[in-house]
Amino acid sequence: MSEAVQHRSAGATALGLVARHAAKAGVIGLLLTILVFPLISDNRYYQTIIILSLLLAVMASGWNIISGFAGYVSLGQTVFLGIGAYTTAILSLRVFGPDEFGQGGANPFYFVPLSALVAGLFAAAVGPILMRTRGHSFVILTIAFLFVMQLIVLNWTELTYGNRGLSLPLPTWPREWANLPFYYVFFGLMLLSVAMSWWIRRTKFGMGLIAIREDEDKAASVGVNTPIYKTLAFVASAIWIGAAGGVYAYYLSFIDPRNQFDIVYSVFVVLAVLLGGRGTIWGPVIGAFILEPVNQITNNDFNRWFGEGVWDANVRLIFFGALLLLVVLVLPRGIIPSLREIFTRRRESKTAAEVGARFERTPMRVVERGAQEARAAPAGPLLEIRGVSKRFGGITAVDDVSLAVERGTITALIGPNGSGKTTLFNLIDGTMEPDRGEVWFEGRRVDKLAPYRRAHLGIGRTFQITRLFREMTVLENVVAPLRSFSWRRLGADAVSGPEAERAHGLLEFVGMHRFAHHRAGALSFGQGKLVELAQILMLDPALIMLDEPAGGINPTLIGYMEEMVRELNRQGTTFLIVEHNMPLVLGLCSPVCVLARGQAICEGTPGQVQADPAVLDAYLGEDFVLEERAGVS
Amino acid sequence: MRRIVWLLALLPVLLALVLAAGCGGDDDDGGDAGGDTGATDTGGGGEASGEPIRIGASLPLTGDFAEPGEAARRGYEVWMEMVNESGGLLGRPVEMVIKDDQSDQNLVVTDYNALIEQDQVDLLLGTFSSLLNIPASAVAERAQMVYVEPAGGSPDMFNRGFEYLFFAQQATAPHQADLFSEWVTGLPEGERPATAAYVAADDPFGAPVAEGIQEQLEAAGVETVYSEIYPPETVNFDAIAADIAAQKPDVIAQGSAGLQDGVNLITALGAAGYSPKQMFQASTPSFADQYSDAIGVENTEGIFYAVSYHVDAPTPGNAEFLEAYRAKYDNEDPAEDAADGYAAAQVLQAAVEAVGSIDDQAALKDWLHENSVETILGELSWDETGAPEQAFLLAQWQNGDEEIVLPEDAATSDTIVNPKPPWTGR
Amino acid sequence: MTQLIQTIVLGLLLGGVYALLASGLTLIFGVMDVINVAQGALIILSAFITWAAWSETGLDPLLGVLVTTPAMFLIGFGIYMASVRWIQGKPPSTSVILTFGLALIIEGVMGMVWTATLHRATPAYFNQSFTIGDIYLRKGQVYACAIAIGVLAVLYVILRVTWLGRAIRAVSANMSSARLVGVNPSTVAALTFAVGVATAGAGGSLASVLYPFLPASHYAWISRLLGIIVLGGMGSLPGAVVGALLLGVAETMTQTYVSPQWATLVPWAVIMLVLLLRPQGLMGQKLREDVAL
Repeated sequence: MSEAVQHRSAGATALGLVARHAAKAGVIGLLLTILVFPLISDNRYYQTIIILSLLLAVMASGWNIISGFAGYVSLGQTVFLGIGAYTTAILSLRVFGPDEFGQGGANPFYFVPLSALVAGLFAAAVGPILMRTRGHSFVILTIAFLFVMQLIVLNWTELTYGNRGLSLPLPTWPREWANLPFYYVFFGLMLLSVAMSWWIRRTKFGMGLIAIREDEDKAASVGVNTPIYKTLAFVASAIWIGAAGGVYAYYLSFIDPRNQFDIVYSVFVVLAVLLGGRGTIWGPVIGAFILEPVNQITNNDFNRWFGEGVWDANVRLIFFGALLLLVVLVLPRGIIPSLREIFTRRRESKTAAEVGARFERTPMRVVERGAQEARAAPAGPLLEIRGVSKRFGGITAVDDVSLAVERGTITALIGPNGSGKTTLFNLIDGTMEPDRGEVWFEGRRVDKLAPYRRAHLGIGRTFQITRLFREMTVLENVVAPLRSFSWRRLGADAVSGPEAERAHGLLEFVGMHRFAHHRAGALSFGQGKLVELAQILMLDPALIMLDEPAGGINPTLIGYMEEMVRELNRQGTTFLIVEHNMPLVLGLCSPVCVLARGQAICEGTPGQVQADPAVLDAYLGEDFVLEERAGVS
Repeated sequence: MRRIVWLLALLPVLLALVLAAGCGGDDDDGGDAGGDTGATDTGGGGEASGEPIRIGASLPLTGDFAEPGEAARRGYEVWMEMVNESGGLLGRPVEMVIKDDQSDQNLVVTDYNALIEQDQVDLLLGTFSSLLNIPASAVAERAQMVYVEPAGGSPDMFNRGFEYLFFAQQATAPHQADLFSEWVTGLPEGERPATAAYVAADDPFGAPVAEGIQEQLEAAGVETVYSEIYPPETVNFDAIAADIAAQKPDVIAQGSAGLQDGVNLITALGAAGYSPKQMFQASTPSFADQYSDAIGVENTEGIFYAVSYHVDAPTPGNAEFLEAYRAKYDNEDPAEDAADGYAAAQVLQAAVEAVGSIDDQAALKDWLHENSVETILGELSWDETGAPEQAFLLAQWQNGDEEIVLPEDAATSDTIVNPKPPWTGR
Repeated sequence: MTQLIQTIVLGLLLGGVYALLASGLTLIFGVMDVINVAQGALIILSAFITWAAWSETGLDPLLGVLVTTPAMFLIGFGIYMASVRWIQGKPPSTSVILTFGLALIIEGVMGMVWTATLHRATPAYFNQSFTIGDIYLRKGQVYACAIAIGVLAVLYVILRVTWLGRAIRAVSANMSSARLVGVNPSTVAALTFAVGVATAGAGGSLASVLYPFLPASHYAWISRLLGIIVLGGMGSLPGAVVGALLLGVAETMTQTYVSPQWATLVPWAVIMLVLLLRPQGLMGQKLREDVAL
């Protein structure tokens, strides 16, 4: 379904092919069954189970966008259900109703679109604030946010009637229809939210989200406008849940803050997605259609089958607690990815063989350099650092460093471990903000700009330990960088024709085109370095910063890397290189700048630097020997 | 390949068809064995003797309301056994189907839907607490089934224009303490309190009780020095008690639904060393021994509460109820909620017997709206919203016993302890 | 004025017990990078054990600390070996979800054994007070606070003086260098988790006297404890103490001067504000993140 899957399918076995078609058939079958079920059976109990499963599927599908695609795990997703429910209820009862609590009111269905809108606006407003944090902090924040909203709704009694709850009007349609209108509205909402997931997954937008999940700083450094992507994902994850909240309020005909803003239901949603498969299109739906029926049947039927008291609240808690544990410990990837793994295992082993194959040199190809030549070149150095400092607690990692990188040079940045080289890189590309000082690029001050803006301006950067998006293919990795942000591009295909062509060209340039459809996580260290170089070349950068390009790779590859740098430099790209391999630095770079204890102690040609006593002192006086080892480890 | 996909896709549909046919088969089997259940709804059959009338209810048997939920279940079951022993309802045996909603509003909705749609019960009885009855009664109303509920006096129950809803106690929450308010404001000049503190749980029942008293006392010129709502899950009443103590009010009135809130407030007031002249608690003191054990029997002296039922009440049928209850439950006395449950079932029984059939739910509700019913709580009648039109009894703890003090014709004690003696530390 | 002092005193007495309860949570986080959402449930479990011992044998609930601390140490060790061990190094959300599952299981087990109704250990002194002028101090709270300070002092000594303490501090400062000097991080993690749960044991005994509790009370506790450690700085023990005292006072002040209705909001609001405005909390350290990359 996703691009990744489509690419993989090229190498899939016959077994995998059958499995894929069986899965597709299963999904279509499930949908058809839900569609026609009320026509073949008027058992309302089963209808109720399906309605609640559809609701859970909408919730799970929404959660999957922010947490499965973008990797921001929220335990407060029911907040949007509550907002949707209260929006519909308040509009129906107070704004368009008699403005008295519980006295009839306008048809709630009218307000369901508004519920979606309000939930979306809410997500747009709080998303950027909440998503300034990550990891633990974000998880805790979402829980806190859920409870804060619950308490606000609880205590704002003038509007919400607090804990006494709101009673919505009863349905006005004929009694024989029972809950069928709810049934089909929920069904429609589920289709909409799955369709949206599917659309997102195959666009640039979706690929950006996956990139954020895999490595957010890296995504920003290759030009992904992370704040907008994350906010949009949050909005997308909220709107259908908001709509479902409105319908759910009407269906329940009574809402109160505690049950609408419920943490346990939030966890239930998470469990459904984990069970089905995080980051997949249908996993959340499948998880929901397993979990909710189990929940209802155990609650309602077990006592009837096995005698009273067999299934009480406590057994239910233990059951779902154990299920959470089991899924996290035994089935962490969920049903769909695990099944997929079983059916594609043979292909994976073939990949491993290829990965182990020796690297093959490929003739170099001159790369088309469209955008870069168009750039007007202002006078002065390409990159200028003015008196930059960065402190961490008591340590001053970078201390009042000034440095200029002239256009067209290959500038080296050397120094002992911990001398602040990588921190300086982080300050230049925007991963970190300097405490003091300025960074200028192409005659413009950039130290206040977000990392992705700097990438758009033409700063490209690799990492000491390569940071590729491990779950993406090599080709997707190379296509992921963005040279600019435009709303229109968000909806474009994740891998478009011209882009793929260019990416193939770049992969050929670095000699990795044979691996285009392999998972990036399966590559060797050296191969990763090459792919990362191809990846930032996609940005058409004016300045490429390489963090230890020769670190940890074999001598053949080092020579090859050197050749590529020269080639690119000939074509006009400026380089700033951190490297411990002294022969390489002295042969390739000029000028060379030396950092020690966070300070720039010397700058000049390789010859000048070698002769400088301060440099010798910095190296010999500290850990020169260790340095040598670090270069090859 | 594509065709195979579609063929495979049809498999689950076929499976669903078979399943649905199977379910239909089940229904038919049930019908063959004991008359056509489907036809019961439409008024066709159901005359076969021996086929039970099924009455469905969901109760909070676990969770926050576990104690009153269990009491209500006992009330329902004692009623069922008594009816079955005396020839059944309309000559048919009665069978109760009771589910556990775990004090959860979502589950109570699912439960009543399942009772109506899956268990296909003939009649419904309500659950405990306004919190649960509000959503549950909406399910019944939508299905147009009579819904008699034993405990749920929140005004929010009765402002929705429901026609099938009936509350089987004497009055709604704002009128819970009418007799107390009348008594306080009717005290002679020197004894009448000047100040009062009100504290209530944020709950559809608790808050209206406190608001009701506050309204009536303020109208009589009693100054309000403290009035706060606390979240229902509150267990730490220290700051609240310290606050109230600092205001030194003559009256303290608390509105809450469970046992613990009242116990916790009194414990905290005891630690803060403040005792009011008059103390009213909505329902906590009706928990008999559980209450006196928790706060110490000496500390119960003089505390007022409103109650729907008293064991010694001379109401018709009460003696028989007590006898059956004590026989079934180890000679225990029924809690108020058990009596309320029994009374709710009595109301439903009266309507069914008067109409003479269970087939027409609309006829049942019409009859209840037009008539009054004799129950062990006394005579009950309802307005067009299903709210009862009578008054609660005012009770007071005296010498470690619960006594009815007002109205005079129902009183079990002819004195009223006033003012309340101070707390005694243990 | 009296009212203000009374409110602050109530808050500080509460805060003392909160500090002990939060210490385990912050310790586990500091060493293992795991947020143990089940800590609240473990506290309630210890409270139930204390209550059972008190009602069966009449053992003073405050002395119950001597029983529950070792008992919960063993339970903590068992939980680590059976579950938490396997998720070390997984994304942070995994530990939250896993320990949430643990909390649900513990809640269910407690409901089965002791039923889902409110319990409270009520020794003779539970509703008696010391009075100083117009200020009153509840005896139960004073004793509990004193014992909490005592247990915290013991914990502090353990962390400063013993091998385990040094190993714990080494691992929480830098996992890889700790390994270099011969500390096995997984052993340390197991012991830390057990010690962290043991503090929940001691704290649960004290909590059993203060307020009634039922199995579902753990939600209220975990919200408070998260608020405390976020405020103090995740992983910082002194931060937890300061955060606990501040949060205790903030809660009682809100109850008295704003409304009891908004008191529940305090810990959550604190969490949101601190994480958004000063993520390292009051006493947490801003780490040099780039070196680890």
